[in-house]
Formats: sequence, structure tokens, C-alpha cells
Amino acid sequence: MTTHESSQAIPNGSALAAFTAAGIGAFAMGLISLLDAAGVFAVPALYDPAGGVTGRTTLAVLIWLIAWWILHARWRNRDLEAGRMHTIAILLAVGGIVLALPPVWSLFG
Amino acid sequence: MSHYDLLFSSRSIWTMLHGIFFGGGSLLGVAAALFALIALRAAPPGDAAAAQSRLIAWLLIGTTLLVWAAVIVGTYVTFPPYRATPPEGVIDLSAYPRSLIRSDPRSAWLHSFAMESKEHIPWIAAMLVTGVSFVATRYRARLLTDDRLRRIAVSLLALAFVLIAGVSFLGVLINKVAPLE
Repeated sequence: MTTHESSQAIPNGSALAAFTAAGIGAFAMGLISLLDAAGVFAVPALYDPAGGVTGRTTLAVLIWLIAWWILHARWRNRDLEAGRMHTIAILLAVGGIVLALPPVWSLFG
Repeated sequence: MSHYDLLFSSRSIWTMLHGIFFGGGSLLGVAAALFALIALRAAPPGDAAAAQSRLIAWLLIGTTLLVWAAVIVGTYVTFPPYRATPPEGVIDLSAYPRSLIRSDPRSAWLHSFAMESKEHIPWIAAMLVTGVSFVATRYRARLLTDDRLRRIAVSLLALAFVLIAGVSFLGVLINKVAPLE
């Protein structure tokens, strides 16, 4: 079997898991930064000279990797409807970006 | 301090590595991958598509490494000296960029908006590029021939490109007003 044929045979689930998990990680990053700015949830710093950003970003990366691992395990052998996942991944990513913008924090702080 | 010391102090070298090599390299890599995914979408299945998709996968792996290097160096190496608190009584704030920026109401936004955005948004770009890089590596030629997957990859890379370009521009502005020397 050639490389081309083998890649065609893989179900699209693991690709959609990677895309959706990236959206979840992005949204987590935005939400964590918003909650910190609003004083609702402060993640402790992992490296004091750099401050709280080290804790916030590490937590977001952990959420992203765990979400990716779970989705990959559940979807890797499945073919899923890609259009819907496209919308979900983009909405999550854009939502995360918006929540990570300081002018948005002032609406909640 | 001589010009040589200003250019090649460890702080300025790390800032240049972060902004120009890692950040600039990420921007070039994402732009090249975006172009390839759009330009090669009609690639007919076969050896040529396999070779093209292999190059795209390697390009994205390299770009992913550059983006992560940029965010990790930015957060753990160049950010600490930026946010260092000046000792009591210090008048010359040039060695303390955050305090220097906040001391003038005209430049305070460079911290409250620009740097605060730069703390988190590059990490989002890194996750998006990594997701696309994984798919390019695992799916190879199918990323070019499967229109649905290719569209999602292009969307996420385009988003990452805008984010990296935006935070890079903000970084240039911060470094013009309060460079890490």
C-alpha cells in the first residue's frame, strides 16, 4: 500500500480531534485569563520571575492536551461530519481569542 | 555602555531571538504553509502529491517548533526582565520596561493592552499550529485532496497567522518605547 493510499484509508476522526482540541485549548486560554483578570480564579505562578502567566498558560496547555487525548481516543477510528466540527473549532478558537483580549476583561472586572 | 554591549547584551540577544528568529520564523512558516495548502489543493493523487504533502508536513513541524520556542522564550526568558520591579528610589527606569511604560499615561496602553495580550494570545497560536501540524504529518496527501480537512487547516492557520502578526506588531511597539537592553 502506498503512502497516499494509506493516508486515504485513515478515518478523519483523529484529524477532527486535533482541530477541535486546538479550539478547546484556545478557549481554555481565553477563559482562564478572563477569570484571572476578574479575580474569580487565580492560578498560582509556576515560575515567580515571570508571574501568574506561567500558571495560566500551563493550565491551558494541560486542558488542551487532555482534551486532545480524550477526543483522539474516542474518534480515531470514526469518520465524523467535518463541516460541523469546522464550525465548532473556529467558534471555540475565536471565542478564546476574544476572551484573552484585555478590553473584554474590563467588561467583567 | 558601548554600542557593542547594547547590541549583544544577553537580554537583547534573547529579545532578538524571541522576536526575529522564532517569531519572524513562525510568521514565515505559517504563511508558507497557508500558501502551499491553498495553491496545491488540486494536486492529483500520486507520487507528486505525496512528495508535496511530505514537504508541507516538515514545514509545519519546523514552524510548530519555532512557535513554541517563541512562546516559551517569550514567557520564561524575556518576560521576567520586562516585568522586573525597580528598587526603591530608582529614577532612571530604562532598565525596567514595564515600569517605564506605565510611568507615562501616553504609553501605559502598551502594557495594559499590548503586553497583556502578548502574555496569552501567542499560546493560542501555538496550539492551533500544532493541531494542523499533527494532521499534516498523519494524513499527508489527504490534507491536499480532502477539501473538508484542508479548509479547516487553512482556517486555523489563517487565524494563527493573524495572531502571530498582531502580537509581533505589538512587540515591536513595546520594544521601540522600552527596549530590553
